[in-house]
Amino acid sequence: MLNKYLKYILFFLMSFVIIAGISFPIVDRPEAWYHFPFIPGLGQLAKIIFFHVPTAWLSVLAFLMAMIYGIKYLRNQDLDDDARSNSALQLGFVFSILATVTGSVWAKFTWGAFWHWDPRETSIFILLLIYGSLFALRSAVENEEKRAKLSAVYSILAFLTVPFFIFIMPRIMTGLHPGSANDDNLGPVVDFKMNSNMQLIFYLSLTAFTILYFWMWRLNYKSIIINDKLNKKLI
Amino acid sequence: MEGLTSFLENNSIYIVLIIVLIVWGGIFTFLTNTDKRLKKIEKELEAE
Repeated sequence: MLNKYLKYILFFLMSFVIIAGISFPIVDRPEAWYHFPFIPGLGQLAKIIFFHVPTAWLSVLAFLMAMIYGIKYLRNQDLDDDARSNSALQLGFVFSILATVTGSVWAKFTWGAFWHWDPRETSIFILLLIYGSLFALRSAVENEEKRAKLSAVYSILAFLTVPFFIFIMPRIMTGLHPGSANDDNLGPVVDFKMNSNMQLIFYLSLTAFTILYFWMWRLNYKSIIINDKLNKKLI
Repeated sequence: MEGLTSFLENNSIYIVLIIVLIVWGGIFTFLTNTDKRLKKIEKELEAE
């Protein structure tokens, strides 16, 4: 389901990211290539960026792909495109739940409680509601083509809210999450407080998670398509 | 529970470990679902 070499690359990249992300030391003055800088107020907790941010990124990517395949379905009326869109939706939902849960565990130890209704938490909660109702919609419609059409239109409309909830609202409002309007890092943590080694591991992590996403997406949509075809044949 | 919380506060690297495990758990759950679907397909193919 995935190019053989890409699988090997994924295996080594992800192993490296997990090992480096957990074990590379955080020091006050980074000198060696494997040193991470000390970020005041975060310390070791800064390492969450290698695992929490990629899950959030994958949910955006998945919802974007759900929209793209939704549009494709509306153009070609090909039910395979609906399966691809559905597969991306499921993955997007899984990864936004993961981003929420990992973020809330982190919040317990940085902000003091699991849930704060911080702008970032509120916006991901609303996104989960929006996409959760899409699954309710899908399971409520019996007719395949009607379901595919409704789901495609809904996924386009739902994705229109994603840039606002993920990228804009948490940045223009004051909050606790890094990157909020009152964050004194003067912008996303990514650019300012990370040194080049931390950025390298961060982008490697994004790459590894993206390859993993494509693998999971293909496995999922192919099994959905085969399942649908088989069901039709049996009827 | 309090002992655990204070242990984690002092050794925050384990929180990162917990987070990695949560992500792995999510991926694993997703894969089990796909696996279930494939098993169902296999059974239907055998029944044919």
